[in-house]
Amino acid sequence: MVSVTIPADMWAEDMEGVISAWLFEDGDKVREGDLIAEVMVEKTSYDLTAPAAGILRILVAPDVPFRRGAEVARIE
Amino acid sequence: MTAATQTKPPGDASASANRSKRNLTIAKAMAEAIGQEMRRDSSVLVMGEDIGRLGGVFGNTRGLIEEFGPERIRDTPISETAFIGAAVGMAAVGMKPIVELMFVDFYGVCMDAIYNLAAKNCYFSGGQVPLPMVIMTSCGGGYSDAGQHSQCLYGTFAHLPGLKVVVPSNAYDAKGLMLAAIRDPNPVIYMFHKALQGMGWLGTVKGAITDVPEDDYVLPIGRAALVRPGRDVTLVGFGNTLHHALDAAADLAGEGIEAEVIDLRSIVPLDRETILASVKRTGRLVVVDDDYQSFGVSAEIIATASEGAFAALKAAPRRVAFPDIPIPFSPALERPLMPDANKVAAAARQVCKGN
Amino acid sequence: MKPTRDQWLWMYETMVTSRLFEEAIAAAYFEGKTPAFNMANGPIPGEMHLSNGQEPCAVGVCAHLTADDFVTATHRPHHIAIAKGVDLDAMAAEIFGKSTGLSGGRGGHMHIFDARVNFGCSGIIAEGMGPVTGAALAFKLRKQPRVAVSFIGEGAANQGAFHEALNLAALWKVPAVFVIEDNGWGISVAKAQSTAIANNDLRAAAYGIPGHRVADNDPLAIFEVAGEAVARARSGGGPSLIEIETSRLEGHFIGDAQNYRPEGELPALKARDPIPALRDRLLREKVMDQATETALRDRAGAKVAAAIDAARAAAYPQPQEAFEKVFA
Repeated sequence: MVSVTIPADMWAEDMEGVISAWLFEDGDKVREGDLIAEVMVEKTSYDLTAPAAGILRILVAPDVPFRRGAEVARIE
Repeated sequence: MTAATQTKPPGDASASANRSKRNLTIAKAMAEAIGQEMRRDSSVLVMGEDIGRLGGVFGNTRGLIEEFGPERIRDTPISETAFIGAAVGMAAVGMKPIVELMFVDFYGVCMDAIYNLAAKNCYFSGGQVPLPMVIMTSCGGGYSDAGQHSQCLYGTFAHLPGLKVVVPSNAYDAKGLMLAAIRDPNPVIYMFHKALQGMGWLGTVKGAITDVPEDDYVLPIGRAALVRPGRDVTLVGFGNTLHHALDAAADLAGEGIEAEVIDLRSIVPLDRETILASVKRTGRLVVVDDDYQSFGVSAEIIATASEGAFAALKAAPRRVAFPDIPIPFSPALERPLMPDANKVAAAARQVCKGN
Repeated sequence: MKPTRDQWLWMYETMVTSRLFEEAIAAAYFEGKTPAFNMANGPIPGEMHLSNGQEPCAVGVCAHLTADDFVTATHRPHHIAIAKGVDLDAMAAEIFGKSTGLSGGRGGHMHIFDARVNFGCSGIIAEGMGPVTGAALAFKLRKQPRVAVSFIGEGAANQGAFHEALNLAALWKVPAVFVIEDNGWGISVAKAQSTAIANNDLRAAAYGIPGHRVADNDPLAIFEVAGEAVARARSGGGPSLIEIETSRLEGHFIGDAQNYRPEGELPALKARDPIPALRDRLLREKVMDQATETALRDRAGAKVAAAIDAARAAAYPQPQEAFEKVFA
């Protein structure tokens, strides 16, 4: 099981971000490097990629705020 | 209100069996299509305002300048007449420019280059000088951007001969239509709706985010898709309104009304064949168009049904469209007037009652 | 011609009013839009283009104008509207989309119109220049001592309408002034990347009219150059072009991450914010004392707060009102 966390340096200031779109559904198969979600911080969008291959388990719904370092999904 | 049925891309079964699914937003699908074609064909380039380092105000060129550089991903001054006119010239000598008109509402400042030059060059030259160019432009409102930044204007472009007009409703279609548009030897107006785009700063209709194969595929311009079969009433939508039609169909099914939903995908050429075949089956037609109601696409579809399937009609066709007024700013004024699934379902119930 | 003391105080208070208004609008704009920034949400939905930093342009020019003079502005209009004397309460209500707004909620922030003071604005780049040329022509034909002033950005100088309007205004020698607020950025594209020459005042020569560039966002210099241009127009001397080097302290729109701005540019601009700079100057030159400054600031704050409060409290229009005013 691999944790999908928001990189500590994904954005500059200590603001909250949200998932604006999951590009896969819970239970989908993903490959390492797949673009799995878009993260929005204010009006800037960042790409979140899968750190490993496996089954995606989504932990955080869109529009729920989190800080850098938060775990948003797992890959089994 | 039930959730929209995600528009499933018609896939080649053998190819999709071996590949894993990968969802994209329309913005990313457009950027991917453009990037793939630019790798394949050195005559393709992109010009427009803020499409370089910013990746486009609507995200449709993100990542491209990093790969292709500023000569091929070219930020322009605020000079639409000049750079769209320039695209005409580039296409005339064999390049394949993709130009962005940032908001379709800005067409006023450059319409001559589009409808007098781009649209007529092939004809005036007797076919000697076709213009393989794409004008991609954002359209649509509902988020309070007021009368000069919220229009759809499908009818405005569809009305003028010599331009092809495509309107994707989802990411799968967006990529296939973009590749088709770039390869088409004619000027193609590629209209992407802001409510579908996948920009996090604007809500995105979920059904617009779909699985998009990584490989090369085109969708034929001028062919509609029958996305939901049904026997009782034909609902015609395109772009954003396709999702209203699907939502309405889901609601109606609960009442025992089976709606058939057609996604036009292209406005020009208009797939009258698919529309007529459906109307002949169901005998009832509702068109949903978020452009101004009068003198546009909804009227054209109803005229088509009237001309080609009159005997089959069991009720007068209906349309759900935005009223003939400048789009007001206040959400209290704009939002109640916008087409939505409820209005489509209500219209469908009316035609099913036989008016 | 230097400002009188009253004019200085008016300029300073108007700049403060404008800035406090923008800050209040920004605060309201963010309501309902955090942490997920959906532009459609909150009491002020849609786009918002703030004028922080550009206040000197508005006051330096409008100090010479009356309610009868005709002004058009752009998608970034608030500071100019305020300086032109637009009804602040009705403007705030319009921005909140309320029925008490200048247009009953039909226009919103980019389409502020107040006919009492001959002010209007449009979101299409450079398109306000044609109407100014025409209004000026009308004033000339009717032999009225009125002028028309167009405010645009430096990006507009590359749009066709700019060139057509300048040529026409010059050809017909109309009482107009064209003011470019050069904040150096057209969304993410820097002036040097979009404009073939260094400065747009040079373009005036192409149309045979006077062109001036004002450096450094200096309210005094703006006042002087604008005063000359307005006087020239009023006395039948024809149109002029002024380009003012100003600063856009916020993003192009609220929410713009501004990743395209070079590192250090914004802090440097904020360090030279024109409002504290003018305050310090006026105190130093004893045009006002601290007590006066405090009184002006308090008055500005009260005016803004009253406008915002009234806007929030006002009712929304009814949907059927959307169908009114399409035609007269």
